[in-house]
Amino acid sequence: MITFKKGNLRVPKWNRRVFMVAGGTTAYKKFFPEYRIEELAMMAFKQMLEDNNLKMDPLEVKGLINYCAYGSFADHFQDQLLCEAKVHDYLGLDPLYNTGIKAGGATGGTTILNAAMAVASGYADVALAAGWERMDEVDTRTGNFYIATAACKDFETRMGRVYSSYYAPMANRFAWAFNVSETTRAKIAVKNRFYACSSPYAQQPGKHTVEEVLAGPMSAFPLRFLECCAMSVGSACVLLCDEKTAYQLTDHPCEIFICGGTHTLRVADRRPMDIPLLPNESEGMYQELLKEGSRWPGFESFLAARFAAWLTYRMAGIYDPLEELDLVELHDAFTISDLQTYGDIGLRPYGQEQDYIESGDAYYGGKLPSNLSGGLLGTMHAVGATGIFQAVECLWQLQQKYDQFHGDQKIWKKWGKRKPRDWQSLQIPQKSKQALWVSHAGVGSHVTVGILKKSW
Amino acid sequence: MQKTKFIGQVTKIKQTEPQTVIEWPRTLTHIHTYGLLSPFFQGLKEGRLRATFCPNKKCPENLLWIPPRAHCPDCHTEMKWKTLRNPVIGKVYAFTEVVYAGTGIELSTPYWQIDVQIPGLTTVPKSYLLYGKPYIGMKVKAQFRTDKPTNTVLDYYWVPVE
Repeated sequence: MITFKKGNLRVPKWNRRVFMVAGGTTAYKKFFPEYRIEELAMMAFKQMLEDNNLKMDPLEVKGLINYCAYGSFADHFQDQLLCEAKVHDYLGLDPLYNTGIKAGGATGGTTILNAAMAVASGYADVALAAGWERMDEVDTRTGNFYIATAACKDFETRMGRVYSSYYAPMANRFAWAFNVSETTRAKIAVKNRFYACSSPYAQQPGKHTVEEVLAGPMSAFPLRFLECCAMSVGSACVLLCDEKTAYQLTDHPCEIFICGGTHTLRVADRRPMDIPLLPNESEGMYQELLKEGSRWPGFESFLAARFAAWLTYRMAGIYDPLEELDLVELHDAFTISDLQTYGDIGLRPYGQEQDYIESGDAYYGGKLPSNLSGGLLGTMHAVGATGIFQAVECLWQLQQKYDQFHGDQKIWKKWGKRKPRDWQSLQIPQKSKQALWVSHAGVGSHVTVGILKKSW
Repeated sequence: MQKTKFIGQVTKIKQTEPQTVIEWPRTLTHIHTYGLLSPFFQGLKEGRLRATFCPNKKCPENLLWIPPRAHCPDCHTEMKWKTLRNPVIGKVYAFTEVVYAGTGIELSTPYWQIDVQIPGLTTVPKSYLLYGKPYIGMKVKAQFRTDKPTNTVLDYYWVPVE
């Protein structure tokens, strides 16, 4: 049983407000021999400085940066220790200090958290958060084994050597506990891969059907290949500033709030505990939730995601996420992890997660669309870049720049693609004010929940 | 005058378009310790499932741990060992059939990976089912690879209780 003391539950508070003003990304590919990783980082960095309509010359903006946080997940993938130093030098940012961040799948979110803390504390007025991953130096099965070393090597890695086999038991348990059809999971894969069709950055866009997903080859029962995310190469970055600098650089900054939570690396070690309630949840509402022999979070939910949301909603003043948010970008590494997260972050009460999809709320044009970027299933999971890429997409959506960054024929061409004739804009409405993104590691070992709030 | 010689293997070029891509061979063996959990792995080879518990009477956590820990995460007291009495009977809490496994997999695919609730444990350890098809709540019995052990956590597994 995990219990908290008062100090553990203090809600983080910045010493001064922090804003996101610009973002950049590369396209993502399974195999990307065209560029070295620092070259890809430079391409994202240039897009951030040059194409975000900042009110200052790109090199002048660069001249304001005085701290960098760099996320990359796995040194053994690209077999290069201290890659941060190579990228930092390549971007021409020496001798400014940089910190390398490693938090599994939550590396991107954690990198932004680190850069935000630098600005909030006063260490920096302008901080760069950049991330990347190069996952194409080894074959796919070896890549899967590498990722599975982010399970406990003594007790769980040998049980599958593939991460889908750690999420699949959760899918079976979740389906049993809350009576969820496989169709709901398949709809998530169909939705996110379809949205990826509008993205020039997407690695595996596709117009699939539910039947096709469910008839596809199995990775670990019940997760089919189309329910599992991409293994990618690519890079993304964002620029964070204090309030004064933010408005010097743009008329359209977004204030940022971000907190994290953690839980055990082994699912085995998730001890039962009481559910920490979100602001709009009430005592006793979960009394009937669990079947006999079940426990919370069990294998059904993520304490780390719930705790991160618990903090971030209080930090950002969110009461009802479904009503107050306008876009979410979730960590859909697997269809099941996406589905589980709906309850953790309060898009639905626990036990009713599937209704977020089945009601249509999660779709473009719905009440609270999710993963219009194409997510990890459709667009990318270059792990160290992922949580940053998601934030970039949230920023551009709030700034009404979806078409600028997804519909421009030149961007498609730059990445060797042709813009589809039936290209569809996924721009959220102008009145939209707040977007949330989740960066998620392991089987829920680290999770950050970030919120961008339109500040103009 | 002694000249420096190239004593390596010539690096293979995998492709030259759109850019030059080379092969970079890596083979390695890590020397890894089981540390204070060594008795657990030794126990498996002897047909015993060993758990740890916190002996601190004031500690809120009084249940058993598998995977074991040498220190209690709640009060930091050094844990003590307890051998579970055979036959160890548990219930399947969650499961999957591993169809596509990563490089180095040591079990023949497909196989059933199961997470088992064992009476008295605060944890739900992950293992595998030797035969049969699991369902949530299925009763299973622990067995051990005492003959030709692998010296890993794969030295125990579960079979259905008939």
